[in-house]
Amino acid sequence: MAKDMTLLWGSGSPPCWRVQLMLEEKQLQGYNQKLLSFEKMEHKSQEVLDMNPRGQLPSFKCGKHILNESFAACLFLENQYKSQGNKLIPDSPDAQALMYQRMFEAVTLVQKMVDLVAYNFRVPEGERHDSAVQRNTEALTAELKLWEGYLKKTDCCLAGKEFTLADVLVFPYIAYMFHYGLSSERYPALAKYYNSLKDRPSIKASWPPYWQKFIEQDTLKAI
Amino acid sequence: MAKDMTLLWGSGSAPCWRVMIMLEEKQLQGYNQKLLSFEKMEHKSQEVLDMNPRGQLPAFKCGKHILNESYAACFFLENQYKSQGTKLIPDSPDAQALMYQRLFEAVPLYQKIVEIVLYNYRVPEGERHDSAVQRNKEGLTAELKLWEGYLNKTDCCLAGKEFTLADVLFFPNVAFLFRLGLSSERYPALTKYYNGLKDRPSIKATWPPHWQTTPGPGIMNTV
Repeated sequence: MAKDMTLLWGSGSPPCWRVQLMLEEKQLQGYNQKLLSFEKMEHKSQEVLDMNPRGQLPSFKCGKHILNESFAACLFLENQYKSQGNKLIPDSPDAQALMYQRMFEAVTLVQKMVDLVAYNFRVPEGERHDSAVQRNTEALTAELKLWEGYLKKTDCCLAGKEFTLADVLVFPYIAYMFHYGLSSERYPALAKYYNSLKDRPSIKASWPPYWQKFIEQDTLKAI
Repeated sequence: MAKDMTLLWGSGSAPCWRVMIMLEEKQLQGYNQKLLSFEKMEHKSQEVLDMNPRGQLPAFKCGKHILNESYAACFFLENQYKSQGTKLIPDSPDAQALMYQRLFEAVPLYQKIVEIVLYNYRVPEGERHDSAVQRNKEGLTAELKLWEGYLNKTDCCLAGKEFTLADVLFFPNVAFLFRLGLSSERYPALTKYYNGLKDRPSIKATWPPHWQTTPGPGIMNTV
């Protein structure tokens, strides 16, 4: 039941958005939630640490179950609420296999994006190199080229015609990248995917109220 | 059917091992397989690229479905072969939630291991810093402390008494750490977990061949 669920989240955080999107898709609106501030380091507060020793958001409690990893929360919710809301894991083996493959390739996509976008947060000043930034840029570019290819060969959604768990997990990162300056001209298939899904009710309802300003808005402009 | 499956793999690769353990657990022995050499760069061969544009192992084809990401292959196989072999996703919500949470926490664990093991491959000489190596080591130490805590609070397996998908995905990471010289004294719970599962038939049957014949480098000795 939604009222037995609690989500601690931060605005503009794609992993948090995934869980909110999932809760909308499964018609679990009305869950308890608290918006915290990354800038004020609230993700390292005792309240979060009590639920998530990693001091990260999202922190999610579903009844007595702790599911802080966004993939874990989404898979568990789909399993527990199979017959409620939208069916997000298709029965057809073709669509299911493609869904799983894309969903886990998204882990690599996110790593490469974070390597670039969070470089200055993760790497102390004395260890930074332009050559590393260049390499991270090239890696993300190559990765996005793969996804352009995937999206050209599919229908509206990652696994075909149906919106699946793969889209729940990937869309927030695509939206994040376009917000931070990714070029629609260079990535038309990604732009088409983004535009066709941005008005989906669950996505509109959970759209981040604001995006983090400590990342420059044109960070991905040159990718 | 196992004979419609093909696995390209490398010895000692945790992601490859995960898929092999899964195939044993689901009684899908008899699949087509080919052992390739990372040292000879065979993971970048045309044969691999035809199945996996990323040039990575495992590369896995299940009938007509490509499932190169080890987590994708394992989830798909569990779904398609639910009633065959060991049941690896428990019905009990308690065990299921814990299984999902741990199996996705295993992702940052593996990332931290690889960051250390592949440091000299990924970072060109001019960009390497002792401070980065130190930081990576501290990151893994903190991560392993979390897992010692988790394993102290559970039964023989990550999600309780039953061997689940979480163990299929996590065990190879642990075995890899001990292969690289992780200290049993400093990590008694991880050691107990490792010893408790290393003779499980699916694990014994798929143990990396070259680990039986050659010792591993002691990279993790001081973690």
